Amino acid sequence: MKKFLKTLIPTELAKGLLLTGKWFCQVMFSPNRGKSKLHIVDEYPEVPAKVQPRFRGRLQLLKDAQDEIICVCCMACIKACPTNAISLVAGKKEGRKTRIPESYDFELERCIFCGFCVESCTFNAIALNHQFELAVYNREDMAIGLGGVFQSIDKPSPVGKFSYSGKE
Amino acid sequence: MFKTQVMEINMGPQHPSTHGVLRLKLGLDGENVKSCYPIIGYLHRGVEKICENKAFFQGQVWTDRMDYCSAVSNNLGWAEALEKLFGIRVPRRARYLRTMLNELNRLNSHLVWLGTHAMDIGALSVFLYTWRDREKILDVFEAFCGSRLTTTAMRIGGLQEDVPEGFEKMVRDAFESVRIGIQEYETLLSENRIWLKRTVGIAKLSADDCLAYGVTGPILRAAGVAYDIRKAHPYAAYDEMKFEIPTRTEADTYARYLVRLEEMRQSIHIVEQCLEGLPEGPVMAKIPKTLKSEVGEVYHPTEAPKGEIGFYVVSEKGGVNPYRFHIRTPGFLNVQAIPLMLQDALVADVVTAVGTLDVVLGEIDR
Ligand code: SF4
Ligand code: SF4
Repeated sequence: MKKFLKTLIPTELAKGLLLTGKWFCQVMFSPNRGKSKLHIVDEYPEVPAKVQPRFRGRLQLLKDAQDEIICVCCMACIKACPTNAISLVAGKKEGRKTRIPESYDFELERCIFCGFCVESCTFNAIALNHQFELAVYNREDMAIGLGGVFQSIDKPSPVGKFSYSGKE
Repeated sequence: MFKTQVMEINMGPQHPSTHGVLRLKLGLDGENVKSCYPIIGYLHRGVEKICENKAFFQGQVWTDRMDYCSAVSNNLGWAEALEKLFGIRVPRRARYLRTMLNELNRLNSHLVWLGTHAMDIGALSVFLYTWRDREKILDVFEAFCGSRLTTTAMRIGGLQEDVPEGFEKMVRDAFESVRIGIQEYETLLSENRIWLKRTVGIAKLSADDCLAYGVTGPILRAAGVAYDIRKAHPYAAYDEMKFEIPTRTEADTYARYLVRLEEMRQSIHIVEQCLEGLPEGPVMAKIPKTLKSEVGEVYHPTEAPKGEIGFYVVSEKGGVNPYRFHIRTPGFLNVQAIPLMLQDALVADVVTAVGTLDVVLGEIDR
C-alpha cells in the first residue's frame, strides 16, 4: 500500500522541481539582477571580459622605455616553440650593441598558446598578452610580422575589442 | 511472406551523445541490441609519434590535447614518467601543488561527466548546474596555469610558477559552490524515478570482466574492486594524504554514478588537506637546461579521473627526444567493454553505456 502510494505521488520529482524553481525565482526576481551574486553569467560582449593575470593570449614583442624592441635575436624562443610558429631574421641597427630583429614572423594559426617561448626568453622580450578574440577575415592577416598591414607583432591586435589588451 | 533480419545501424561518428567521434555499429532486432562493435580512430593525430620527434619538454602540449577534460592529470603522468627516466627528485611543495591541481582536475572531469551523462539520459538541469560549478574550477586553473582547458601545468622537475595571489580563497570559494552543487545533483538525481529506471541494472560489467578487459577507474571500483593507483602505487604527495576509495558492488550505471559522486567529495577533502599542510620551499628542482637521456625505459601509471593513464618512455644514449613514447590511456581500454555491457540491452541503453564509461575520444584515438 505504502509502495503504491509512493509510486502514485512523485515526491522526489517535486523536490527536484522545487530546487530548479528556487534558483529560477531567486535569480529572476532579485532586484538589480545583473549585479547579484547569483547571476553567474557575464554580460559579455557588453561588458569586456576579464581574464586572470597569467592568461596566455597572443604573442607580442615588448619594447623598453625608449620604445625600442628588446629582442636580441638569441633564437631561444624558436627552439622552444613546439609548433614552429616563430621565425626571425637578425639584423643590425646603428648605435645598438646587440642585434635587433629585422623581421620577426609569427604565425597565429599555428600557435597553441603554450607559453614555452615566453619562458625560454631570458631577456623578457616577448609576452603573451591578454587578448583572446583573435579571429580575422583573411588568412593572410594571421601571419603577423613587424610592421604588418593589419596587425603588427609589437602591438596588440586591433580585433580584440572586448578583451582587455593592456601591456603584458 | 514476412521475413525478419538483424538490421545494422551506425550510431555516430556524428551522434551528439557519443561525446566526440565514436562510431558504434549496432545490430538491431527491433529495439533489442544483438551486436555492438565500436569503431575508433576518427580523431587520430599521432600524438605518440609527434612526441617522439619533439624534445622531451615539448611533449607536454600534446598530452593536454588528449583528454581535454582532464589535461592536468595527463600533464602529471607525463611529467612523472620523465622525472623517473631522468632520476629527478621533485621538491615537496611542488608535489603538494601537483596533488592539489590533480584533484581539482578530477572534480572538473567528473562534473563534465555528470552533466553530459545526465543530459544524455534526459535530465537537462543537472547539466546547467554542473557547468556553473565547473566554471569556478576552470577559473582556478586559469589563475594558476594561465589557461582553462589546455593547461600545460607541469614542468619536468616541478612547476613553472608558485601559487598566484588569492589562490586559497579562490579554491575555497569554488568548493563552497561545488559542495552545495553536489547536494543539488543528489536531490535532482539520486531518488529520481526516471534516473533510477534508466540506470539501475543497466550496462552491467562484472569485476571479472573488468579485470579481463583491463578496465580501470570508477568502473572497476563500482564493480567492487578497490584498486586505485593513488593508494596502490602512491605518486606525487598521495602517500601523505588521508582519503578513502569509494567502492560499490552492484557494477551498474547507478553504482558508477554513486562512486563518482563520492570521489568528488574525497577530492575536495584531499585539496583541503593540501591547502592546510602546504609546505614552504621551491617549486622547481634544479635541472640542466637541455635534458640528455641515457639508455633506459620507464613505465609510470597514474590515476586519471577515467582510470589508469600510463606513460611508457624508451630513451637512447644522448638523445634529446624519446626513442619510443607510448601512452596507455584509460578510455581506449574501457571502450572495448561496450559490447559486453550491451548484451541483451535496448537501443536506449546504448547511450547510457557510452555515457557511463565517460569516453573522451581525444584520448582514445590520440
Ligand atoms: S628568446 Fe627573446 S631575445 Fe631571444 S630571439 Fe626570442 S624574443 Fe628575442
Ligand atoms: S605560445 Fe607556444 S606555440 Fe605559440 S609561439 Fe609561443 S612557443 Fe610557439
